[in-house]
Amino acid sequence: MRVMIAEDEVDLARTLRKALTEEGYAVDWAPNGSEALAKALGVPYDAILLDLMLPEISGLDVLTAVRQRGVRSPVLILTARDAVDDKVHGLNAGADDYLTKPFVLTELLARVRALIRRASPEPVAELAAGPLLLDTNLRLVRRGTEVIELTAREYAILELLARRKGTVVTRSAIYDHVYDEHEDTLSNVIDVFVAALRRKVGPDVIRTRRGHGYLIDG
Amino acid sequence: MADSLRARLLVWFAAIVMLVIAMVGAAVCWMTWRSRLSAIDAELARRGESIARAVRPGPEGRVDVELPADVIAYFQRPDLPAYYAVWRADGSIVDRSDPDIAPGGPPRRGAATRASNREVVIHSGGLTVLAGRDVSDVWQELWSLAATVMTVALVGIAAALAVAWSLAGRALSPVKRINETARRMAEGDLTARIAIDGTETELGQVANALNQAFDRQRDSIERQRQFTADASHQLRTPVATMMAELDWALMRERGGDDYREALATCKRAGARMQSLVEGLLTLARAESGELRLQCLETRLDRVVEDAVEMLRPLAMQRGVRLHAALSPQTVLGDSDRLHDLAANLIFNAIAYNRPQGTVSIVVQREHERVVLRIRDSGIGIAPIDLPKIFDRFYRADAARTREPAGAGLGLALAKWIVTAHGGSIECTSEPGRSTEVVVSLPVTNQAAAAAGDGRRSARLAAPPIAPSASTASVNPSVQNDVRPSAASSE
Repeated sequence: MRVMIAEDEVDLARTLRKALTEEGYAVDWAPNGSEALAKALGVPYDAILLDLMLPEISGLDVLTAVRQRGVRSPVLILTARDAVDDKVHGLNAGADDYLTKPFVLTELLARVRALIRRASPEPVAELAAGPLLLDTNLRLVRRGTEVIELTAREYAILELLARRKGTVVTRSAIYDHVYDEHEDTLSNVIDVFVAALRRKVGPDVIRTRRGHGYLIDG
Repeated sequence: MADSLRARLLVWFAAIVMLVIAMVGAAVCWMTWRSRLSAIDAELARRGESIARAVRPGPEGRVDVELPADVIAYFQRPDLPAYYAVWRADGSIVDRSDPDIAPGGPPRRGAATRASNREVVIHSGGLTVLAGRDVSDVWQELWSLAATVMTVALVGIAAALAVAWSLAGRALSPVKRINETARRMAEGDLTARIAIDGTETELGQVANALNQAFDRQRDSIERQRQFTADASHQLRTPVATMMAELDWALMRERGGDDYREALATCKRAGARMQSLVEGLLTLARAESGELRLQCLETRLDRVVEDAVEMLRPLAMQRGVRLHAALSPQTVLGDSDRLHDLAANLIFNAIAYNRPQGTVSIVVQREHERVVLRIRDSGIGIAPIDLPKIFDRFYRADAARTREPAGAGLGLALAKWIVTAHGGSIECTSEPGRSTEVVVSLPVTNQAAAAAGDGRRSARLAAPPIAPSASTASVNPSVQNDVRPSAASSE
């Protein structure tokens, strides 16, 4: 799951990035409106955290622009302004949720999870993937009663495939979802992760479509 | 409504109209009465003369009274009871039309009103003659005249009141509008304005003045609202940073580096809150007049030099060269505040500069003013932002990108300090090239005069300190080239 933080407060952005990374998200940061707009148009983010008071282009204008260009990424507005008008404008411009600063970090993380869940075809906290059951809140994978230990990246790939159950997910799509803008690794790294996943969850869950990508049967 | 201006105007108007009509009516009645009485008196006197002429002394002290026919007719008219009496000079009665008339002897000469009768007493040919008549017909006539006057007056007053009521209503209708508008304004509708018909009328002028007051009120409320919103936004941002960082640190067991980083972040946020709160307090005190300047003879060049020295490490860190040309100049001022002012302006010039940029700081005398010029080679300020940079919390976008820690209070404070010293501050900028801030302060003697306005507590112990002769003549300005090591190594 790849998330963008559009926030001009360096310290706050750093904190959010740490917290979201720990949750297994790939996190990009845009310190101003124009970067936020460019990134949102270029990457299919699973969620965007958007400050309204951004330099250069205001958060509201960024939001309006990305929605006009058909970007569907869920947007959580994050702002210190708490006037009702601000909330209404933000939601009218196409935001999906609204959180006022200061906020409780766990609430923000829960809201991001909820946004991603709502945007997926199967908006539930518990995802079934063949014989596996994914608890997306606790980030736990069970096969029967057995809990399978996964690394953050492995889990992220598994959840992405489980959310898009029944469709082939290309390697580059997986790459975009689990790596942020600063990571630049070998192109076969996804195959390495999938191989590791198969060893842990069993060979019968993830199927390979040669030349296309991977899928979990729906 | 009984208390309304319109009703009161009307009551006064009615009272005055009624008083005037009553006075006119009374005058008419009085003059009518007088003219009637004088006609009656003349008539009675004429009849009395006729009676006196008709009395002829007869033999043996007897008298013959032979009244002419018209006199008899007059005194016998049934509709108008008249009477007479005649006495000799010794008071003995000669004749009377009725035994009841003046039984006490002849009254004094002249005209008099007795009960409803008018009597005239004359002396003629040794006789005293009294002629009288009933005047109740005159009274009746007067009453009916008074009644007519009253009726006409009442109708007139009613008509006048009706006209006055509608006129007053029309004249006072702006008052109603003013009242309604003021009420809406008081209820919080800040856009309420009075529709003005004619600006020349007194009420039009009142409405105009009120509209202007409403405008100022709205502006001041808007500014206050904006200030509160900005202040809460500015305070919430570091609070949000601190809370999020603490949440993150406490989420699970972490290593020492993580805790150190969390504490450092919290410290930065705390420092920002502190400077924000202090800035806000200073501005609030300044605006409420609580903050007083301690004005003394102050060497502006020394104050500025201190600020330059204080900021030299920051300039070195940013690779910015400071060039100071400070000529000895004395102003009447608060050295702490002037130091804040200089430090703030120089900090901005360093912070919004480009790497390897320069800041030139000049103190000099220009046209009877002491001028501090701070010019940087930095990012500049867009023309659209220039007029607002001295507003509280105003930060140009470019500035926010460069120095995210600033709260936007520094220049507002700078402006307050300069204004409180009786000076002016101006900023000019070429975006992308340079920005120059010019502070102009009155020279000492003018500063002393300006300090007399009571806002500042000034102590003038000595005459203005002249720069020492050697400094002034040989080396008029202290050249001070602050060159950070990073820059000099290039």
